[in-house]
Amino acid sequence: MEKDRLRRRTFLKILGLGSFLATVGLSIPITVRFLFPRVLFERPSTFIVGRPDDLNPATTGLRVYEDWKEEYGVWIVREGNRLYAINARCTHLGCTPNYFADEGVFKCPCHGSQFRSNGLNFAGPAPRPLDRLRIYINDDGMITVDRARLYTYKDFDRKGAYLKL
Amino acid sequence: MENKSALWRWIKGSRVYKSIFRHGYEDTKKNRILQIRSNVFLHIHPVKIPDHAYRIRFTWCMGGITFFLFLVEVMTGAFLMFYYTPTPEQAYRDMLYLRYDVPFGMILRNMHRWAAHLMIFTIILHMLRVFLTGSYKPPREFNWVIGVTLLVITLLLSFTGYLLPWDQLSYWAITVATNMIGAMPFIGHEGPLSLLDRYHDIRFLILGGSEIGSNALLRFYVMHIIVLPVTGMIFMAVHFWRVRKDGISRPL
Amino acid sequence: MAYQDHSKKRYTWPDLVVIEFLTAVALTIILLVWALLVNAPLLEVANPGMSENPSKAPWYFVGLQELLVYFDPWIAGVMIPFIIIVSLVMIPYLDNNPRGIGHYTYSQRRFAVTHFIIGFSMWWILIGIGYFLRGPNWQFYWPWESWGAVKGVEEHLWSPPPWAGVTGLIAYLTLGMILPAIIQRGLYRRFGTFRYIIVMSILLMMYLVPIKILLRLLFHIRYILVTRWFNI
Repeated sequence: MEKDRLRRRTFLKILGLGSFLATVGLSIPITVRFLFPRVLFERPSTFIVGRPDDLNPATTGLRVYEDWKEEYGVWIVREGNRLYAINARCTHLGCTPNYFADEGVFKCPCHGSQFRSNGLNFAGPAPRPLDRLRIYINDDGMITVDRARLYTYKDFDRKGAYLKL
Repeated sequence: MENKSALWRWIKGSRVYKSIFRHGYEDTKKNRILQIRSNVFLHIHPVKIPDHAYRIRFTWCMGGITFFLFLVEVMTGAFLMFYYTPTPEQAYRDMLYLRYDVPFGMILRNMHRWAAHLMIFTIILHMLRVFLTGSYKPPREFNWVIGVTLLVITLLLSFTGYLLPWDQLSYWAITVATNMIGAMPFIGHEGPLSLLDRYHDIRFLILGGSEIGSNALLRFYVMHIIVLPVTGMIFMAVHFWRVRKDGISRPL
Repeated sequence: MAYQDHSKKRYTWPDLVVIEFLTAVALTIILLVWALLVNAPLLEVANPGMSENPSKAPWYFVGLQELLVYFDPWIAGVMIPFIIIVSLVMIPYLDNNPRGIGHYTYSQRRFAVTHFIIGFSMWWILIGIGYFLRGPNWQFYWPWESWGAVKGVEEHLWSPPPWAGVTGLIAYLTLGMILPAIIQRGLYRRFGTFRYIIVMSILLMMYLVPIKILLRLLFHIRYILVTRWFNI
C-alpha cells in the first residue's frame, strides 16, 4: 500500500514536471516560429532593364551602366558581348559601393574594400568579388534582372549569370 | 520651533497629514532612521553606511549617475514616443517635425541622445572603478555578472535606438550589423557551414524580412521601448538589491 | 594604506541622499546645457542606394568597426564581442587573489590590474583610431591631413600558406601558455592548472588582436591563418 502510494507520487511528479518542462521548452520554437511570417510584403525581386538594343552596342571593352543603381541597387555591366548584373552590395558587410568611372573602380565607403569594374576585389577586407544577379530575356523580349538569385564568383560562367548579346 | 502658526499645527495634527507622513522631521536619530526605513524609494539605502563610501574619490558616483541617466532616458523617451511613428515613411519626417514644429522637441531629442552617450561612458567608468577597487571579489562575484549583463543591455538599447530616426546613419549601421550576424556560421545565410537561405536565417529573425524595411523598424522599436528597458529594469533591481545586501566593498 | 576605523558609519539621511540629489541636479544642468548647445546628429533620410562615406558607427561601436578592417565580419562583429563579454563575466571567478578589496591598489593585484588596463586601453585606442583617424573609404588619415587628399590603394596584402599559419598560431599559443608558467612560478601556483589555462587562453586571445594588427601594418599580412571556413 505505502509503496504503491510512493510510486504513484513519483509518477505524478515526473508527469507534472515533465509536462511543465515540455510546455516551457515548446514555447521557444513557437516564439521563434512566430517571428517568421508566412507572407512578406517586399518588392518584387525582378525588374526590367530594357530591350537588348537599348544598351549601346557600339562600345567595346567594358562599360558600367549606373542607371539602375539608385532604385534597385544593381549595376549593369557590359564586357565585350557579355552583359551581366552586379549586385551593388559590398561582399564584406553589405554597404553600397560607389563607382568611380575615371578610375574604373568600385569603392566601398564602410571599410574601404575596392573592386575593379568587373567586380573583382583587389583591396580592403572584401572576401570575394561582387556578386552577380540572374539576368535573362523575359517572355516579352526584355532584359530582366532577378535580384533574388545570386551568383558568387565560382558561378560567373553559369547560364543565367550573364547574357550573350 | 515654537513660532509655528496655529494652521500649521492643525495641519500636522490632522489625520490626513499623519496618514502620509508617519514620523516627525526633527533632527533626531530616530527620524533619520525612519526617513530611510519608512520610504519605499529611499529604502534602497541602508540606514547607515561606512565613512569611506561617501568619498567621491572612492565610488566616482558612477553607478548612481548611470541609474539617473537611465531615468532621464525613460522620461525623455516617453515624451518622444508621443511624436514618433515607427514606419519608414513617417519616422524621418517625425524627426524633422520634432526639430522644427514641436516646441522643445529638439531639446528633448538631444537630451535623449546625449544622455544615452553619457550613460555608456559612465557604465564603462563604473566598471573600471569596480574592477580597480576589487569590488567584484567574494561575495560580490555574481553582481559583477549582472553588471556585465546590464552593460550589454545598455549597448543593445543604444543600438536599437539608432535605427529609429531612419536616417543614413541608422540605415547603414543596421545594414552592417545585421550582415555581420548573417555571416555567422550555421545560423546565418552567408556564413560558413550554413544550410539556411536568406528567408530562414538569424538575420531574417532580427529584421522580420530579407531586407531592412518596415518590419525591421517595428522590431527594433519594440525592443527599444519595451523588451530591453523592462529586462534592464529587472536586472537593475537585482543589481541594487545585491549591493544593498552585500554592502559597499571595503578593505578586509 | 592608511585605513582608519572601518566600523565608523554615518547615517545616510541626509548625508548620502543630499550628495545624490546634488549630483542629479548637476547632471540635469549639464544635460540641459549640452542639449541646448549641440543638436543630436541627423543625416539625410535613409537611402539604400547610397552609403555614407565614411559611414561611422556611434563611438562606442567604432572599436568594433575598426576591427572589421582586420578580421572576418562574423569574427569581428560576433565572435570577439562574445569572447569579451564571456571573459568579463568570468573575471570574478578566475581572480582568486583575495587581496585588494575595497580600495585602489596596484601592488596587491599587479597581474589583474595590468592586463585589465591593457585590454581596457586597447578598446579605447581602437575607438580613437576609428573615430578620429579614419576618413573616406575607411582609409587612414592623420588629423592634419585633409580628407580631400587622395589615398593610394593599400599595399598588396598576402597571407602565409595554411601550414605556416597553423605552425605560427600553435607556436604562439604553446609558448604563451608555457613561458609565463616557467618565468612566473608563483602565478601558476596561485592559479592552479585549470584556472591558469583559462586565464592564459583569454589573455593570449586578447593579445592576438594587437599582434595581428601589427603584422598587417608592418608585414602586410592579411590573415595569419586561412581556412576554407574562416580566416584569422
